[in-house]
Amino acid sequence: MKFMKKLVTWARIKSPWIIHFNTGACNACDIEIVAALTPRFDIERFGILLKGTPRHADVLVCSGPVTRQIEDRLVRIYEQMPEPKFVVATGTCACSGGVFAGCYNVKGGIDTVIPVSVYIPGCPASPAAIIDGVVKLLTTLEGKKLLAAEPAAGEASSETTEAQPNG
Amino acid sequence: MARVKIPIGPQHPALKEPESFRITLSGERIVETDMRLGYNHRGVEKAAEERTYVQDVYLLERVCGICSHSHSTCFAQAVEEIAGLVVPPRAQYIRTLIAELERIHSHLLWLGVAGHEVGFDTLLMYSWRDREVVMDTLASLSGNRVNYGMNTIGGVRRDFTREQLDGLLKVMDVLEERTKYYIEVATQETTLINRLSGVGSLSHEDAVSLGAVGPTGRASSVDRDVRRDDPYAAYKDLSFKVITDTHNDVYGRTLVRVLELMESYKIIRQIVAQIPDGPVTVKAPRKIPAGEAVSRYEAPRGEDVHFVKANGTDKPERVKVRAPTLANLHSVSKMLENNNLADVPITLAAIDPCFSCTDRMIRVREVSGTKSEILSWESLRLFGIGWYLERGVDFSALNARLTRLEKK
Amino acid sequence: MANEETIRQELTAKFPFMADTIVVKRERRIFAEVPAERFMEVFEHAAVRMGFLNLCTITGLDEGENLAFFYHLARNDGTMLNIKMAVPKTKPVIKTVSGLFPGGVIYERELVDLFGAVVEGLPPGERYPLPDNWPAGQYPLRKDWKPEMLDRAGFSKGDMNNG
Repeated sequence: MKFMKKLVTWARIKSPWIIHFNTGACNACDIEIVAALTPRFDIERFGILLKGTPRHADVLVCSGPVTRQIEDRLVRIYEQMPEPKFVVATGTCACSGGVFAGCYNVKGGIDTVIPVSVYIPGCPASPAAIIDGVVKLLTTLEGKKLLAAEPAAGEASSETTEAQPNG
Repeated sequence: MARVKIPIGPQHPALKEPESFRITLSGERIVETDMRLGYNHRGVEKAAEERTYVQDVYLLERVCGICSHSHSTCFAQAVEEIAGLVVPPRAQYIRTLIAELERIHSHLLWLGVAGHEVGFDTLLMYSWRDREVVMDTLASLSGNRVNYGMNTIGGVRRDFTREQLDGLLKVMDVLEERTKYYIEVATQETTLINRLSGVGSLSHEDAVSLGAVGPTGRASSVDRDVRRDDPYAAYKDLSFKVITDTHNDVYGRTLVRVLELMESYKIIRQIVAQIPDGPVTVKAPRKIPAGEAVSRYEAPRGEDVHFVKANGTDKPERVKVRAPTLANLHSVSKMLENNNLADVPITLAAIDPCFSCTDRMIRVREVSGTKSEILSWESLRLFGIGWYLERGVDFSALNARLTRLEKK
Repeated sequence: MANEETIRQELTAKFPFMADTIVVKRERRIFAEVPAERFMEVFEHAAVRMGFLNLCTITGLDEGENLAFFYHLARNDGTMLNIKMAVPKTKPVIKTVSGLFPGGVIYERELVDLFGAVVEGLPPGERYPLPDNWPAGQYPLRKDWKPEMLDRAGFSKGDMNNG
């Protein structure tokens, strides 16, 4: 599995710290994100750590169609993250609002509120797809220094890639 | 003693958070709990009126990512009743099969979450590893790990081969073996028993008057299970025990769920043996004649109720969903009374809150004459683990021992 | 369906005005409609004297001129008694059932937020499920309400302090 090799290479350079946030999802994607930590997928062996605070996170992994209540909080979490920062929209709802697009209390996909770097479709996005999406994000940054605060971070955010479900 | 109100936020302490639970403490004992819900409110019921019945099957599946089949079946049943459709027996059996597989993966998920909340992380790793067996099974049967898309109005969309069904028996063997181990852990590991006993107590009378459903209610001897009392799908042909318990606490809720797992394996074996041949769907009209129906379903978390009103068009007039967690939330204030702050995470987790079925987020606010502090859920969880550690409840030895066993 | 018939007969005997509106739709499903002013008596009788100890939920319905409310009661033997009553939209006042069913409060709050019902005797508490800054007078589940009305009320990103 080529992406695994790339992932291992990347992990040696930098372990991305992730913060997970649910903006009103049905929890299916959230469970798949947590499942990515469990023995079958074991994302921790690549140094990807789930953090509790945005201040220490590199990547915001977001699920859910943004409900009106949560919009403000989502923005604040994003603002609290240090540069360079990236956003992964996990699941179809986070990409576009999914089945809830048009509902009165729903804004739409994550990108209606904050810039998104990677879109991972799926209902829910499977753990394999989530890992693939995070890897794609990391490989697009290969060669770019992650720890320095650079304008390059802004460029990276505007590149979007789509993850494949069968990693 | 000064009264202190504690808020718990779902994310970072410093963010201005809407409070979901406002807990008033006297010292470390909880005196009162106020709930504020609504953060996951998406407007599904309104959306359902603007979509066709078939679209609504898929919409309602996504009300909750764990009990997706529960909602879509409950809804389909109501619509089928209004339209006077007789769902073929084979389809009823298939619905029941998926329903029980869903219950299994949900209870295993819960076991892991409960373990995590008290610091027993090996339990999380074990149970979610076993859960993957069920996810694989569901994926091979339906094409997806979650949101199976099995239902349509009039039956199910897929049939299974004899090989697929027989293959389930081996899966049940594996799960039974592992679940027997969890039952052993639940009934013999003193650390776990000490941690969970007497926590989050809910008397039988309170459980009834507050309307507790599912394993939460059954752990307080509320002998109700929609599968037995108001049978739907294939349940009237199947034999199973309704598990109740008299502990009235989180420990009881744990026992009920692990024992229910064993019943689910039994049910699935019966389904594999008894499933009749025949069609899996009956043709449903696009426009459903005017009428009303109430459908009930025993989701993993408890009684799920759907009310549907049809008006002769291809879209429903009204769809009302009462998910089980909403019924159980009433009881939380009562359960937390006189408990310690350290008990909040596990007590809440023990009702198996599907906040997206209901609405989410726990927040406990601290307000007093002197102190003001905001806690995040994670910090409250760690506080709880630390608090109990000081009092001799230590999972580290158990975690280490089990990890060694796993590596054998 | 002896059980359902017995229930129907008991209710009709006690409340003759129900004779025309009580229907046994199938096993374990009884539907009835009662005038608003008699609702509480029927409801109390069913809950207290007939063992309907489970208030599953309360469904609100927009019926044009009226707001209707379905109270879904259930019993341990699985039977459900679904009682409907209606009040005019211009004066949508109902009484709380939380004296009998403390848990019913959350279902009544839903009716207040989503339909604009006025529930007399509803204990004070946080609203549900809408956020604190939801514009007044907007009831999403009413038939004449459209999401665009929210934007017109100037309810936009900055307003959601509750989020």
